[in-house]
Amino acid sequence: MNKKQKELAIEVKGITKSYPGVVANKSVDFTVNKGEIHALVGENGAGKSTLMKILYGIEQADEGEVSVNGNVVQINKVDAAIKLGIGMVHQEFHLVPSFTAAENIGLGEEPRNSNGLINWDKLNKDVSEIAEKYGLDVDPNLRMIDASVGIQQRTEILKTLYRNADILILDEPTAVLTPQETDELFQVIRSLVDEGKTVIFITHKLREVMEISDRVTVMRDGEVQGVSETKKTSVKELANLMVGREVFLQVKKEKSKPTDVVLEVKDLWVHDARGLVAVKGVNFEVAKGEIVGIAGVDGNGQTELVEALAGLRDTSRGEILFEGKNIEKNSPRQRRREGLAHIPEDRSNTGLNVRLAIWENLIGTSYFRSPLSRGGIVSMKNILRHSNELRETFDIRSPGVTIRAGSLSGGNQQKVVVARELSEEPALTIASQPTRGVDIGNIEAIHEQIVEIRDSGKAVLLISAELDEVMSVADRVGVIYEGEFVEWVDPSKVNQEQMGLYMAGIKG
Amino acid sequence: MEKFSFKDILVLIAGLFITAGVAYAILTVTGFIPTDIAKLFYEGAFVGQRNILNTLNIATPYILTSVATVISFRVGMFNIGINGSMYVGALYAAWAGYRFTTLGHLSHVSLCIFIGMLVGALWMLMPALLRVYAGVSEIISTIILNFVAVLFVSYMCNGPFRAAPIAPTTARILETAELKQYFPNSEFHTGFFIAVFVAFAAYFVLNKTTFGYELRSGGDGLVGFYPSRYSSYLGIPSDRSAITGMLISGAIGGLAGAVIVLGNTRNFYQEMAFNQGFDGILIAIIGKLEPLGGLISSLFYAALKNGGLFVDYKTEVSREIVVILMSILIFFVSAQKIVSSLERFEFVKKLDKFFSRKVK
Repeated sequence: MNKKQKELAIEVKGITKSYPGVVANKSVDFTVNKGEIHALVGENGAGKSTLMKILYGIEQADEGEVSVNGNVVQINKVDAAIKLGIGMVHQEFHLVPSFTAAENIGLGEEPRNSNGLINWDKLNKDVSEIAEKYGLDVDPNLRMIDASVGIQQRTEILKTLYRNADILILDEPTAVLTPQETDELFQVIRSLVDEGKTVIFITHKLREVMEISDRVTVMRDGEVQGVSETKKTSVKELANLMVGREVFLQVKKEKSKPTDVVLEVKDLWVHDARGLVAVKGVNFEVAKGEIVGIAGVDGNGQTELVEALAGLRDTSRGEILFEGKNIEKNSPRQRRREGLAHIPEDRSNTGLNVRLAIWENLIGTSYFRSPLSRGGIVSMKNILRHSNELRETFDIRSPGVTIRAGSLSGGNQQKVVVARELSEEPALTIASQPTRGVDIGNIEAIHEQIVEIRDSGKAVLLISAELDEVMSVADRVGVIYEGEFVEWVDPSKVNQEQMGLYMAGIKG
Repeated sequence: MEKFSFKDILVLIAGLFITAGVAYAILTVTGFIPTDIAKLFYEGAFVGQRNILNTLNIATPYILTSVATVISFRVGMFNIGINGSMYVGALYAAWAGYRFTTLGHLSHVSLCIFIGMLVGALWMLMPALLRVYAGVSEIISTIILNFVAVLFVSYMCNGPFRAAPIAPTTARILETAELKQYFPNSEFHTGFFIAVFVAFAAYFVLNKTTFGYELRSGGDGLVGFYPSRYSSYLGIPSDRSAITGMLISGAIGGLAGAVIVLGNTRNFYQEMAFNQGFDGILIAIIGKLEPLGGLISSLFYAALKNGGLFVDYKTEVSREIVVILMSILIFFVSAQKIVSSLERFEFVKKLDKFFSRKVK
């Protein structure tokens, strides 16, 4: 280990921060060496984000002190953090969609001509220079509305570099990226560190921790559980530290015993919102007692297929048979009544109304039935009992069920959706990205629930962009590419490389 | 929805104090003795049967328009056109009040109220349909319809509904159509009880029925959430909720107009100028978009108005200054962030926790 790495970029001592009803950070000590990639891992609600918000001046700690580059500092607003050379890329990007990359990057720090007007040439030149230096491939003139998620993220990183950040905080940067984009991001991170920057990388994907980081800090329930050099630890150890108990990374399940066909899709064609063909004549079946997986890179027609099955999008041709009956003309409510549940991929707009309370979201599919309501009058007593039961069964972490769903963390919001949908004991569950943004302990729980549904003789259609998830949970996997199935595989008999080829549309 | 908490009470108190300071300065500068004015203001709003009754009388239409606002906003529709519904509701309630001559008291009043509500609701039908089927922002269409309403009622009481040759006014409603005034010294009338009933009914329907849940499922925030993905995903037709919400909102707006004609003026005349439809939006937001919050805020707002009127009537303080002071008060009372700096004190936190305890 060289001398440079011994210097501390950030030293946090005894940080405590509490919100009403919850202590988010309990006397946290956290150090980051200069020039390292430091992974900060933990489940949703473990206090990672709070700690980073304190570092970035968004939140103030109740107790404790922060040192940057060896000096004790007061970071009471974001400007102060930026002046200290700290930059943060949030999980949700803060970009103006109608502005170009350069305009977004320069916003608030625009170089000016002597006449006070913005010097666009200099801005574009500066942006290009920084982009080139760190291998961040971004066209300064590209408008963000037209940019992919990966490019938007690079623009965010450039924004921090443009403000001379030496310490970059990346909050779950890979959550929104495809595997290829993730690889590109990792290259960027490596070149940042080569240029002397320090990177704090927040994630709960442990494979990424092993791949990219030098050191790792694990948090749980607002406390630091352990710090280690990455090469001296293992995924298993980290997972156990994170969750606080033994975690099984492989889904335990028996071989499937499919019986009657529940869902039959025949020559289904679906158009997307722009009127282009998104699903091109697919055929498949889902039987009771099996989990059928659909793998594929996002945007290959999965969204449209799921929406068509759930009744949220019209089909242009073909048939959807549910237990032998044609359900194309049925409303989502009718389909639910017949036993079809749907966990949508878009949690915050579709799966939930974040302005409603947790209980109001939990009763979305059952409020019209006794005992939750009788004769159109809701029974708050029964609803609260029902909601609290679901909260406990599905481990939704919140102070109660009467707070707004929007105030929950992403993972807990997802648990609200999953709880509502699975509580109906549907004949078929369509689960689209059911564990997106959910932490490892809860991923395990959701996977177990999915397997449990199958074992109770129900059918599951699982759509996921996480290859690991489809491969370990599903009994049978179809790989979708540009609206068509490339291949159907048995996940136990195919390797990742072969799957990668199928996902790129290349038949074996 | 966010519930009331101790912080809201702090906001109110802080707002009152700041306004008192500003008022003190303005009144001193303009040559008055602030404490005397304050006493008169308080007396006008709260002291004596007559003043209290007048406050409640002023509150009546505000309660209704704020409830109308609450319903449309929480469905996800930004209805600015409640004032328009008030005008047409008032006009047709007056018409029904003199047109039907053979009815008994209860049936006549009920019919007038029904017609006022029906017309108020129909007035909102077009913006609702335009929003749902043509994507026209309800903000634009309802604002425009407010102007249309003013001109329409003006035309009607000048033309088809004009009774008196001298003044542009409808005929006086028959006694069977009147909402009863109980006291000789105030216009306070049965409409107040109707308004309170409507507020409680709205609270019940929105929060305690499956119908209310369906209405709110797509909205339940400050403004403009239609069309909601969440409700259509559950199979609740959000189009229907949006239209229904607008119609109910319009009906209650029409009712606000109707009770003024049936209880206070007893006819509709061209110079009638309503602004309760707009103030109702403000009051509803101060009341946290809860029907009962709207009820309480309406009483508060009416007390301010009535106190202001009393000061205006009793002293030389110019009307403009009274209005300015009221506006400042409303302004500070709705300034949520005033008290955020107080949150760091431990006792404030504790009080907040204590007052915001909820059912578990």
